[in-house]
Amino acid sequence: MGLLEIEEVSVQFGGLLAVDDASLSVPAGRVTGLIGPNGAGKTTLFNVITGLQAPSGGRVMLDGEEVTRRRPYRRARLGIARTFQRLEAFGSLTARENVLVALEMRRRWATTRYDCGKIADELLERVGIARVADTRVEALPTGSARLVELARALATEPKVLLLDEPSSGLDEQETDALGVLLHELTTGGLAVLLVEHDMPLVMEACSYISVLDFGRVIARGTPREIQADPSVQRAYLGTTKAAS
Amino acid sequence: MSQRWSNLLVWAGTIAFVVLVSKTAWAGHSIDGTSLTNLVVLSLPLAGIIAMAASGLVVVYTTTGIFNFAQGAIGMFMAYVDWELTVHHGLPQLLVLPLVVVVVAPLLGIALDRAIMRHLQGKALVVQLSVTVGLMFAFIGLANMLWNQNNAHSMPALFAGHGFHIGQVLLTWHRFITIVVAVALAIGLRILLFRTRIGIAMRAVVDNRDLAALGGARSSVLSSFAWALGCSLAALAGILLAPETADMSTTTLTFLIITAFAAAVVGRLRSLPLTYIGALILALATQWSGSFLRFSERWTNVPDALPTIMLFVVLLLLPRAEIQFARIGQIRRVERVSSVRDTAIGMLALLIFIVVLSTFFLSNTDTTNLSRFALGMCTALVALSLVPLTGWAGQVSLAPLAFAGIGAVAYARLGGAHGSIWAVFLAALVTVPVGALFAFPAMRLQGLYLALATLAFAAMVEEIFYSQPFAIGAGERAVEPVHLLGIDFTSKRAFLILVTVVFGLCGIGIVALRRSAFGRRLVALRDSEAASVTVGVNVLETKLAVFALSAGIAGFAGAFFAMNARTLNGPTGFEMIAGLPIVLALVIGGVGFVAGALFAGIFGLFLILVQSDWHISLWIGLTYLAPGLAVLGIIQSPSGAVVPIGEGFARLLPWRHDARREYEEMTAAAAEPEVGVLGLERPFEESDVLLVDRELGISNDVPRAVAAARSG
Repeated sequence: MGLLEIEEVSVQFGGLLAVDDASLSVPAGRVTGLIGPNGAGKTTLFNVITGLQAPSGGRVMLDGEEVTRRRPYRRARLGIARTFQRLEAFGSLTARENVLVALEMRRRWATTRYDCGKIADELLERVGIARVADTRVEALPTGSARLVELARALATEPKVLLLDEPSSGLDEQETDALGVLLHELTTGGLAVLLVEHDMPLVMEACSYISVLDFGRVIARGTPREIQADPSVQRAYLGTTKAAS
Repeated sequence: MSQRWSNLLVWAGTIAFVVLVSKTAWAGHSIDGTSLTNLVVLSLPLAGIIAMAASGLVVVYTTTGIFNFAQGAIGMFMAYVDWELTVHHGLPQLLVLPLVVVVVAPLLGIALDRAIMRHLQGKALVVQLSVTVGLMFAFIGLANMLWNQNNAHSMPALFAGHGFHIGQVLLTWHRFITIVVAVALAIGLRILLFRTRIGIAMRAVVDNRDLAALGGARSSVLSSFAWALGCSLAALAGILLAPETADMSTTTLTFLIITAFAAAVVGRLRSLPLTYIGALILALATQWSGSFLRFSERWTNVPDALPTIMLFVVLLLLPRAEIQFARIGQIRRVERVSSVRDTAIGMLALLIFIVVLSTFFLSNTDTTNLSRFALGMCTALVALSLVPLTGWAGQVSLAPLAFAGIGAVAYARLGGAHGSIWAVFLAALVTVPVGALFAFPAMRLQGLYLALATLAFAAMVEEIFYSQPFAIGAGERAVEPVHLLGIDFTSKRAFLILVTVVFGLCGIGIVALRRSAFGRRLVALRDSEAASVTVGVNVLETKLAVFALSAGIAGFAGAFFAMNARTLNGPTGFEMIAGLPIVLALVIGGVGFVAGALFAGIFGLFLILVQSDWHISLWIGLTYLAPGLAVLGIIQSPSGAVVPIGEGFARLLPWRHDARREYEEMTAAAAEPEVGVLGLERPFEESDVLLVDRELGISNDVPRAVAAARSG
């Protein structure tokens, strides 16, 4: 059983079923991929997991405990962290301050004392943006701002990390570094759920992948299985049923 | 608290309030068919006028996203234009009314849109609000200048007040026409919005401005049209209302708008039918209290407070806002966070300046000027209360002076009568829970709605709080300045220096706070609520803290207001309308900065000097006009005047290399076009492709190679 379990979650916006009875398991120490065409419901599912969107049905379990009705900030304190597809960095704060906000919140419920400034610098170094630590985030290019979000998410010392298209806006080298970082993080026991359009990164980093289309999970399996799955190809290439 | 429970609570509270008020103030008239017919007949024309004003608000808000505080003032101004032409120059109303409503008002609307409103798109809410508040003052000031308010003005009703009877009550043709016009407008607006091209485009813009623009809707034409229509509706309401008032007081006509706010909020600022229903309910309630209730003593002003009470209640019943995601593309300017040391040096300089000024240039025997300077400093202290709340946390409050008023009363009641130092802190302590209470509506209401709730609160405090016997009551309350370290600050010079020191210390404290974890958290919450909660920020706790802090500072400032005034007399000095220029001046100065608060104090001082020393009607008009004109400054520098001033000053200091370098970088950056709007406002060119590539971090070589290949 996964550290994070999404059980039969549905989200309805008016007449539109954005997520339809989706179940997903995110085990510790691995990167789980979540892919699917635009509008498949990936970000909505992230919002459900973090509590920004109430589901119309289903449950979210963290470490065996149901968190479906918990407030978002409670879930964060229980160990769920995320980045956003559409940037939600604190634009008027510097990169360092972005990380500090999370660290200072973390310090309030952490059992051990620590020096926020030092850890902030370490985290910025780790994601590779130490050189822009004192730049206000709204002045940074998209890719760097994404890395700020990643450092900020890591600052909460999560058990589960949800990454929403972290590589968009990154150049090739940065994407490679991201892959290495993901590997390090999971080796430390972190559970990662990765939404990503960069297929080489997904196939490389993930040990297990779920495919979402029109809110439904249409396939799941190892990267190799997913690549071979005809329904996945249909979803991505838009082959009509009549043609297939 | 869940939506259902909080709604239940609001309804129960409202019903209890209505029953209680009706019971205590019952005038003893019987309720029968006749009296109820009278009630309805008297309500309908009022409802019509409120609905017209409110519809104008809704049309402008839905199309342009700007909530027009000046709607009432524009109506008032147009009513005076109408008066000028009909009463003063003797032209027939039949000619003038269409001229004003169909030609003059729309032209004014288009001019406002082109000159001011268009530049407000995408600016912070507090900036948008301040501009229209400033505009409101400008129109009041202009009207006071052009039409001397010492002379009575009156506008005859249409058809000289003739009419016909319904039951016992006379329905004048004027009122009958008002009702007919309101109904016709309802139908006309419905057809406009649902059956015409421009109306459908306006509704499309409501849903998604950018999408509508891509679909071919020309938002500039639409916004001009909306402003033209809004001003027309304002003019109609103003002209029809003017004969119903005793003397065409500029402020009475202007503040019809509060009632219109309440009606528009019933329609959630979107729905015209609901707005009409809101107007009807408001008119009925007003007439009900006028016909069946008699208020006296401590409740004398309740009828005046009715619209604001209703505005407050309606706001509390609004559904809870969703968690806010960051607004994309809202680029703010560099916002330098001063160091505590720099602030301390600045405050010391301020203190030396005040000491020198008060010792050598202001006479201690003529205490008037010393007192005015002290008042300016108190104003700065009140403005300071908004720096964390509005400047950092982005919660717009229009009620800082109301909290100061509560603090002033608390000081007077809790030991200020004999100058106890504890009373100063008790004043802050008393206002803290009142302010903290605002965190609860602030959890449900976002942005504009919260601002309106604070405005309603300020008005309710003014009308109801001070007249309570436990506060001030009908008489006055005398206050002594504090005794501290063996000094009594009864000397005006000593008091001015005391307030300056207090402001300096608070300012340093505020800067230190901005650099603390709490300060960062407030800014984070403003920048992205969604991201804040996902790193564990408890929004309610944070809002409680910042509202409490802000109210505490305002209450603290209130104690000094009281000491400076020496006597408290009803709401004098703490009126809702006196609070708005403080907010406005702070925004002009820079809402996120301690220096901005000081700017607000200096601005207040300037207005006091203008008002009292230059006995020319032109300059008296300026007390209103100046805040209005200063609005143009906001458009130039939305982060506040202190930013360019501070940057310019820092560049002159020989040791501030960083400031000079930053300036060069900013100038270079400003020369580049913005990527976000490309393609929407002008064609997309090769150079733009390069720009986008750089923004996205794509190597510069690729497009260059492509370009080379193409040209070769």
